[in-house]
Amino acid sequence: MSNEAAHRTARASRQGKSTPRRTKLTAYALVGLIGGMGALVATAQPMYRAFCQVTGFGGTTQVADEAKLAALIIPVEDEAAKAARYVTVRFDANTNAKLPWHFRPVQRELRVRIGEQVLAHFEATNISDKTIVGTATFNVTPYKTATYFNKIDCFCFTEQVLHPGQTAQMPVIFYVDPEMLKDINTKNETAITLSYTFFADTDQSAAKKADWDQSAAKEADRDQGEARQAEAERRAENSPANRAEING
Amino acid sequence: MNRCRWMLTSLLFISAWLAASAGALAAGPKPWQMNFQEAATPVMEDIISFHNLLLVIEILIVLFVLGLMLVIIIKFNSKANPVPSKTTHNTLLEVVWTVVPIAILMVIAVPSMKLLFFMDKAKNPEMTLKITGHQWFWTYQYPDNGDFEFDSNIVDEEDLPKGGKRLLEVDERVVLPVNTEIRLLMTSDDVIHNWAVPSFGVKMDTVPGRTNESWIKVTKTGTFYGQCSELCGVNHGFMPIRVDVVTKAEFAKWAAAAKVKYAGIQTPPKTAASATAKAIKVAQAAARMPGAHVLKR
Amino acid sequence: MSDTAHAGTDGGHDHSPTGWRRWAYSTNHKDIGTLYLAIAVIAAVVGGAMSAMIRLELTQPGIQFIEDFQFYNMLVTAHGFVMVFFVVMPALIGGFGNWFVPLMIGTPDMAFPRMNNVSFWLLAAALVLLVASTFIAGGVGTGWTVYPPLSNADFHPGMAVDFGILSLHLAGASSILGAINLITTILNMRAPGMTLHRMPLFVWAMLITAFLLLMAIPVLAGALTMLLTDRNFGTAFFSPEGGGDPIFWQHLFWFFGHPEVYIMVIPAFGVISHIISTFSKKPIFGYLGMAYAMSAIGFVGFIVWAHHMYTVGFNVETRSYFVIATMVIAVPTGVKIFSWLATMWGGSIDFKTPMLYAMGFIFLFVAGGVTGITLANAGVDQAFHDTYFVVAHFHYVLSVATVFAIYGGIYYWLGKMSGRQYSEVQGRWQFWITFIGVNVLFFPQHFLGMAGMPRRIPDYPDAYAGWNMVSSIGGLITMLGAFMFLWILYRTLTAGAPAEDNPWGEGATTLEWTVPSPAPFHTHEVLPDTSDLQAAE
Repeated sequence: MSNEAAHRTARASRQGKSTPRRTKLTAYALVGLIGGMGALVATAQPMYRAFCQVTGFGGTTQVADEAKLAALIIPVEDEAAKAARYVTVRFDANTNAKLPWHFRPVQRELRVRIGEQVLAHFEATNISDKTIVGTATFNVTPYKTATYFNKIDCFCFTEQVLHPGQTAQMPVIFYVDPEMLKDINTKNETAITLSYTFFADTDQSAAKKADWDQSAAKEADRDQGEARQAEAERRAENSPANRAEING
Repeated sequence: MNRCRWMLTSLLFISAWLAASAGALAAGPKPWQMNFQEAATPVMEDIISFHNLLLVIEILIVLFVLGLMLVIIIKFNSKANPVPSKTTHNTLLEVVWTVVPIAILMVIAVPSMKLLFFMDKAKNPEMTLKITGHQWFWTYQYPDNGDFEFDSNIVDEEDLPKGGKRLLEVDERVVLPVNTEIRLLMTSDDVIHNWAVPSFGVKMDTVPGRTNESWIKVTKTGTFYGQCSELCGVNHGFMPIRVDVVTKAEFAKWAAAAKVKYAGIQTPPKTAASATAKAIKVAQAAARMPGAHVLKR
Repeated sequence: MSDTAHAGTDGGHDHSPTGWRRWAYSTNHKDIGTLYLAIAVIAAVVGGAMSAMIRLELTQPGIQFIEDFQFYNMLVTAHGFVMVFFVVMPALIGGFGNWFVPLMIGTPDMAFPRMNNVSFWLLAAALVLLVASTFIAGGVGTGWTVYPPLSNADFHPGMAVDFGILSLHLAGASSILGAINLITTILNMRAPGMTLHRMPLFVWAMLITAFLLLMAIPVLAGALTMLLTDRNFGTAFFSPEGGGDPIFWQHLFWFFGHPEVYIMVIPAFGVISHIISTFSKKPIFGYLGMAYAMSAIGFVGFIVWAHHMYTVGFNVETRSYFVIATMVIAVPTGVKIFSWLATMWGGSIDFKTPMLYAMGFIFLFVAGGVTGITLANAGVDQAFHDTYFVVAHFHYVLSVATVFAIYGGIYYWLGKMSGRQYSEVQGRWQFWITFIGVNVLFFPQHFLGMAGMPRRIPDYPDAYAGWNMVSSIGGLITMLGAFMFLWILYRTLTAGAPAEDNPWGEGATTLEWTVPSPAPFHTHEVLPDTSDLQAAE
């Protein structure tokens, strides 16, 4: 920079007078840099999620869409390829301490033909006296198999509501992508563990709604029942033969 | 080539020294210990041998720098050398001290990668041990050996059996068979913990909401200790790990008995151990942190 | 030279103000630098007292005097925060940076003097908030890494963590303002003839550090804001029950955290370069290599963050990338070490106190650096992660090396800043006591770590007793050195011999030695012409 400019800058800063243009520009550029980093971190969460989804980072499984399923048909029809490999899929269930449910896999492990769609079940029981909403997080290990582990449908996609004492079977339909056999890192894998952890949902509004729905349904049941009974009684008056049935 | 051989020799020497000073079969840390606990798995053996290579290289680097500094102190102090030179450049020298470290790093990188990929995955685990971290105890589950589970709490100082190791003994030990590839699945119920047994070369975070996988194959029977290795709250220092490694036959017997012993034990409602003699103080600490559930005993 | 430069001196309002106004409203880079150094000394006493309590508790197995383990965890956490954000950074960046960047580049003051004032007082407020957090609800017991879920509202329900977060927000804002000021000053206000490639290495170090701050602090600020909303407003960035991921925090934190260690150590590199050149009476060897090595370290520092997270569960490819990237840092670091040695080589060295500290820095930084290579390897890190080996490593490179640069820098520049020279005999004694102390303190921690002793535990299995006792003795020696330093500081400021303008002789070639000692309130009002400066290349 020229002597003149340096002098001007220095003098201005000493006198607290207006800052020279070049200095201002530098400062604006730096604020821009901060803004850029700020924008980066503000979008970090969706970026992180997308990154995990694409790379299977942290064992994030894939969700099979129509296109994927359509593409899958080809290897499945190839009987030789289909028979070529099996992999053991193991099931693991965890319940967070704050959620009073019992949650376990119905089957410990399944021997799965690679490329074939498989249905597995988990079972959850609400052991509290309240209706509770739970959501499940999930991942597979080893992590490197995650990109090949596709879920077609899963109870973990939505929140689950269990009434007091209610037990529910929770299905998951998945397949292991035959591409796994082409990946040098994963082709020798013999077992994949699919693990779930159920948490009490921070948003319990669905529980209230379910309670309300249930009582409404009971109400409706009762109304229906009363109507039926009235109808039956009415009939019974006409036909004594029916009375025994109703009383029984 | 010569250098390589020399390095190998010193490496062997140091391993021998390490082995000689390591003492009796795997039983936790020893007083005044200056090196690793004895290896009981192939992974830990590899960690130790790779670390021996690193140690040799690093000691040589430090000695080299120290030696140069001693020469500088002796030869280039203001009495010995009143007129300073004005050299500020030497291209050859600058290239050398860039290239040589790169070469050294490559010497390190190759065995490092080998170790990393070796420890990554068991070939074909025969059984699974499921580990769940809690504030502040561990839950172990044996899904392949009868699907039983139990909690493992620290033994209070006053209840310590004779010869028991303070802060390392637990009430219910993990029992595992020797020479068996075991898959470790780890998760947590609350905060992040870390399940670590130095002799096994295993150390992995237990993260709530996800499951981590590691593996061990213990080649020696005996008793092994570890401690939680991720700050997890008030009683972080008081959730030890004890693993008893037994023969396969003994393990089968134990598992059969354990299946009966622990049958029907439902973990929730979960109780945490009081940490040794300080229970009251800890309770005070916990009382200040109502979110941390502790001490219901 | 232009005679118009004198015009500014008639301004009037910024002529040496007196009393509390001089300090509270200060826009003078030297006064603000002094304030930063003062806050660093105060914070060092606080942080040092915390480490003394930790070491005393760990002297023997069993409980010594800390019976509330949350209090212990709080000490560990606050010690880290105080030392990082309120000792090392203010001393090196706010203190030395403010004092000597304008002096060295030949400009009267910083580009934005008022912003400089705001920056300091934000830091002071941050320190108050942090100290306050230690008294609220048991304090922040999460470690300085503040990992959720431990740091979220379930496990730290009180206001302590919120105070801590706000404190770091303020400290971050302070750093960002300081960094804008430094970069703008360095890029636009150098004296005539001082090109970038002729800038003293300390100024280079500050420029690189300021850029690291600008890029790293917003990430910390963002992460802290997410944690704050997680704790108070029901978001779930880091809690799995709401679809978040605790590991996401670790990525954000360490994306800031690793550059942060270079933010602390690169200014130290700058200080050490000056001391070594001065006392060897030689220009720095391989100047450009030094400058670009620092830039390279700063750049690579942004792409190695996950080496702090080897055990959280990464696939092996991820870990192998971070192993290689991390080890690459050893190359520019080696360039720096060997360039310093080459600067000394052939020199005519006076082993005055600052030089002792500089040589101590080099040796201990190498000792701490090689254990960094060990830890960079994810395979062996599985044995070392979260053990005392890690504690030993980062205390060697930070507590020992960086603090040595601060000690050395204060001895080096104390005459210039205060007009009084310390006693050389006292300084040397203080060096040797500190040097022995820190080694006795931290070297045995390598052994503890190898034997498997975890970090951040208030009590340990009995087998670890021996080395812990040795380590605590080292702690006492180090503390003795620190007290002695405070005493020397006090004696020098009250009764030190008058300092010459240039007490170090021919080796001290940078511009700060051309102004009187103590440096007057206004310096370089006539811009020095540095076009006769020896070109760097």
